[in-house]
Amino acid sequence: MKNHAFTRSLLLLLAVLALLSLCACGGSGEKVIDRPAQTEAAGSDAPMTAANAQAETEAGGYVFIHNGVKVPMDAEASAIVEALGEPASYFEAASCAFEGLDKMYTYGGFELDTYPTGDKDYVSAVILRDDSVATPEGVMIGDSADKLQEVYGEPASVSGDLVTYEAGGMQLRFILEQDAVRSIEYISLAVEG
Amino acid sequence: MPTAEKLRRRALVRFLLSAALVLLCLFLLQRLVTPKYAGDIVEGALISEYYAEAKDHDLIFIGDCEVYENFSPKVLWEEYGVNSFIRGSAQQLIWQSYYLLEETLHYETPRAVVFNVLALQYNEPQREAYNRMTLDGMRWSGSKLKSILASMTEEESLVEYLFPLLRYHTRWSELTPEDAEYLFKDYRPSHNGFLMRVDVRPAENVPEGRILADYSFGDRAWSYLEKMRLLCEEKGVQLILVKAPSLYPYWYPQWEEQVEDYAAEHGLLYINYLDLIDETGLDFSTDTYDAGLHLNLSGAEKISRHLGQLLREDLGFPDRRGEEPLSSRWQEKLAAYEAERESQLAALGKI
Repeated sequence: MKNHAFTRSLLLLLAVLALLSLCACGGSGEKVIDRPAQTEAAGSDAPMTAANAQAETEAGGYVFIHNGVKVPMDAEASAIVEALGEPASYFEAASCAFEGLDKMYTYGGFELDTYPTGDKDYVSAVILRDDSVATPEGVMIGDSADKLQEVYGEPASVSGDLVTYEAGGMQLRFILEQDAVRSIEYISLAVEG
Repeated sequence: MPTAEKLRRRALVRFLLSAALVLLCLFLLQRLVTPKYAGDIVEGALISEYYAEAKDHDLIFIGDCEVYENFSPKVLWEEYGVNSFIRGSAQQLIWQSYYLLEETLHYETPRAVVFNVLALQYNEPQREAYNRMTLDGMRWSGSKLKSILASMTEEESLVEYLFPLLRYHTRWSELTPEDAEYLFKDYRPSHNGFLMRVDVRPAENVPEGRILADYSFGDRAWSYLEKMRLLCEEKGVQLILVKAPSLYPYWYPQWEEQVEDYAAEHGLLYINYLDLIDETGLDFSTDTYDAGLHLNLSGAEKISRHLGQLLREDLGFPDRRGEEPLSSRWQEKLAAYEAERESQLAALGKI
C-alpha cells in the first residue's frame, strides 16, 4: 500500500514533467543552435548544373548569371566557384565563435559570398560592384530608378534608398542614390533573415 | 495503529520527498545537457567566468569579440598595475552589453568601463546561438531577465531560458566527456576574459564594406549607448568608447563620424585604434591570427600597452602592483597566462 502510493506520486510527477518537455518540442519543430541551414531547394548534394540551376530559378528566386554560369542563392558553391574561374581576390572570415568560414570571392565587377554548413559552402550573396556586369534582366549600376520599376515592377518594399524584391527565399536589393542604381545585391534569406 | 492524521502526514512527506528527488534529477539532467562550451566553441564559456573573480577591478571591458580577442588584462596589470577584466562574448549586442554593465555595477564600481562601439551596427536581435553564449552564462538577476527579453529572436521563448532543459534535452545523444567533467564547475578558457591566440595569419585582400542604403545607427542601439552613458554617470564611472583595430568587419567613415560626434557631445573619451596602427606598432602581417579580424597575442599586447599608458598617464589610474592579496592573485594568473602561451607555441612547433 505504502509502496503503491510512493510509486504513484513518482509516476505522476514524471508524467507531468515529460509532458512539459514534449510541449517544448511541439509547434515550430526542433531548433538547432548552429549555423543557419541552407534552404531545402539548395540542399542537394548534386553539383550545380544549368539544369538544376534552372529548376531553382523556376522555384522563384532571382539568379545572377555570369558568362553562362548561374549563381542561385543557397546553391552549393564549389561547382559554381570552379566554373567562374580564378577570382581576382579571395578573403575568408571566421565567425566570432563558430567553426567554418564565410568566404568572399571577388571577380571583375562582382563579389560572390558563401556560408558554411557542415563541410560544404553555400552561396549567401552576390554583390554587383560596377557597370561591367548586369542582372540577367538587364539592370546595371548607373541605371535609373524608372528602369528598375520598368524591368522588375512593384518591389516588395522600399525603405529610403533601398528597393527590395523578394522571391524564393532570397532578396534582390537595389540601393539608389539620386534616383540611380548604386549597388545591386542578391541576398540569401537563409543567412540574412 | 497509526491515526488518519499520521497517515496523511506520512503520505505528504513521501510526496514531498518524491518531488524533491524528481526535481534533483531534473536539475542534474539540465546541468548535464546544457552546453559547457569546453570543446570547440569556448567563447560561450566567457561570461560566467566573472563570478568567481574578486570584484575590485579598476577597469571593466564590455563588448563583443573585439574586446575579448584584442585586449590583454595581463599587460595592464604587469606593466601598469591596472586590475581589469573583460566581460566580452561573441557578437554581444549593445543591449546585452548594457545589462552586463548593469549587473557588473551591482557587484563593484570600477574607475572606468571600456565599451567597443562595433556593436552599434546591430539594432535588432540576431541569432539564438550568439544570444545563448552571452545569456546562458549570466547568473539569474533582473539584468539577465531584461537582457533575455531584449535579445530574443521570434523563434525563441522565455521559458526555454528559464528552464534550459526544455531547449537542450535533445543534446542527450551528443554528450561528450566534457559534459560530465564540467557538470559542477565552469570551464574557464580565458585570462580575465582575454581569449589568447598565438598563431599568425597575415591580413591580405581585406574587402571594403558593401555600400549601405543607410549608414545611420539604429534608434535602439543609440538608446542603449545612452543608457550605458547615464548609468556610468550615475555610478561615477568613466565611460571610454573604443573601436578595436580589427580590419573586418569594415568600419565605415560614416559610422566613425557618428561615434565621434556622440563622444564629443557628451565629453567621452573615444579611441579609434584603426587610426593608431602606426602609433601602437601594429603589424597586420604578424599581429593577427585570422587575417585581420582579430589580433593575436602580440597584437593584443601592443594595443594594451597603448591603453595602459593612457590609463596611467592621462587618466591617473594608480599602480596597484604592491597591493595584497591582489598581487598574489595576479602571480597565479600570470603563471597561467605564460603556461598557455607556451602550450600554444609548443602545439604550433615554435618552441
